[in-house]
Amino acid sequence: MQFTIVLYCLGIESTAHTFGASVVTDRGEILSDVRDVYTSAPGTGIHPREAAEHHSEVAAHLVSQALSQAKIRASKLAGVAVALGPGLGPCLRVGATVARALSSYLQIPLIAVNHAIGHIEIGTLTAGATDPLVVLVSGGHTAIAAFSGGHWRIFGETEDITLGNLYDMFAREINLPSPAGPEIEKLTQKSTEFIALPYVVKGNDVSYSGLLTASLAMLRSGKRLEDVCYSMQEVSCSMLAEAVERSLAYTGKKEVLLTGGVAANKALQSKLREVARLHDAMFYVVEGRYSGDNGAQIAWTGMLAFRAGVVTTIDQARVRSKWRLEDVEIPWRNDDGA
Amino acid sequence: MMTERKLIYKGAEAEIYLEEWFGKPAIRKQRIPKAYRIPELDDAIRRMRTSHEANMMHEVRKLGVPVPTIQHIDLDSSTIMMDFVNGPTLKEELYRIPTHAKRERCGSLGVIVGRMHEGGIVHGDMTISNVLSEQGKLYMIDFGLGDFSKEVEDKGVDLLLLNRAMKSTHYAFHTILFNAFMKGYTSVVGQKHGKEMLHKMHEIEQRGRYFERA
Repeated sequence: MQFTIVLYCLGIESTAHTFGASVVTDRGEILSDVRDVYTSAPGTGIHPREAAEHHSEVAAHLVSQALSQAKIRASKLAGVAVALGPGLGPCLRVGATVARALSSYLQIPLIAVNHAIGHIEIGTLTAGATDPLVVLVSGGHTAIAAFSGGHWRIFGETEDITLGNLYDMFAREINLPSPAGPEIEKLTQKSTEFIALPYVVKGNDVSYSGLLTASLAMLRSGKRLEDVCYSMQEVSCSMLAEAVERSLAYTGKKEVLLTGGVAANKALQSKLREVARLHDAMFYVVEGRYSGDNGAQIAWTGMLAFRAGVVTTIDQARVRSKWRLEDVEIPWRNDDGA
Repeated sequence: MMTERKLIYKGAEAEIYLEEWFGKPAIRKQRIPKAYRIPELDDAIRRMRTSHEANMMHEVRKLGVPVPTIQHIDLDSSTIMMDFVNGPTLKEELYRIPTHAKRERCGSLGVIVGRMHEGGIVHGDMTISNVLSEQGKLYMIDFGLGDFSKEVEDKGVDLLLLNRAMKSTHYAFHTILFNAFMKGYTSVVGQKHGKEMLHKMHEIEQRGRYFERA
């Protein structure tokens, strides 16, 4: 008699505006992926406490929905994974509390997942890359990373605000709701003029704070919103493309993977595709529905960690709001991408 | 008279050619257009960086840092023509010279970098691949990321990048090389500042922002 054993892992995401829950199998099948996003009033950003209250309200319902859509009982779970950072403290604590309770009640292992590693792993899973130079762009990250010696190594990153911050902070000033990337991208279509704005690349790093200030100043000086949006997008994405090109030349990687919430931006995609082409590398983008924060990225990374024997205990599972991705030990990857 | 142009190096930003220029061998450094930038932006960036690099080379020369002499600048094609330094990079040369010569070269480099830092300029991409050796005389190249700075932080990054470069390619001799470098560097900037810089370099390293070549 033969048995095929399938492992199931529940993942919980609550690092910022999204509460997400998902069940995945050890074969990389995503059986469910449900989420609810806290939205702030136009012209305001995420209020951490309000976002946490939102998460508390939707958590129980979303977790049971993730299980029912996956058609499995909670008792069948091999483990529960939770994003313990980086993110907003009050938000992180909601997910952490839910996960600790489930782990304790169901007597199953608790797996601590770094949210950024989640973006990378769901990107490689859904796009099919094996050993990529990763370009992680979101509200919380703008980083270029490659795997080496058991860790993801940062080869370049923003020295101040992230690409997502740039768009959201700009949007806030002009009373657009955040996340504002898609809205800004729509406005760029109607631009007729390119306005010169500060372009700051330092080696493999970028800096966006001056670009934000200058973009807002242009707007106040009477330039058309469409033209400012277009110019800001052109400059910000070109800067990142150049930093990626340097990192690609430096590391000699043959794949580029774009992942994270801002990965959906078409202008950024086309620029990075061109960079990859210049260096004979393949270009991959995370599957659209998994670009923004989601439970599946946590469930899948948790499953990889669980299979490699990385579990935590309830008293060790504290939130880490500034948890850097290069600090995470990754025993489930080899340098050659195997 | 047109002569043959030979591509000798292709970087992420520029192409380096060797060719004859008024009867003498010369280097053509040309920043290439990038299709991922719109032309208005691309032209402005290449123009600005070409003039910036030429300016930095001129400034460090005044501080006693040997650099190839600039023959011609053409901003429209983002090109710098400069003297051809006939020798290997320091990285290559260090593989094949005896220990005392290794020490001597790194000491000279320390003096050069010390003068540059004392004069308020940082290189920004300080590796032994960006130093050429023509029969033992060292020339610094690639000032595209260079800048005016008296910040201990920026100088510390120069030292860290150099230390990393020595470590990753000359592992067995790394300590000898870097100590010789620091001896030369300290002879220019003084004991106290030399120590401070070393301390800063370790501090930046601890932050874990700069990594060895994969």
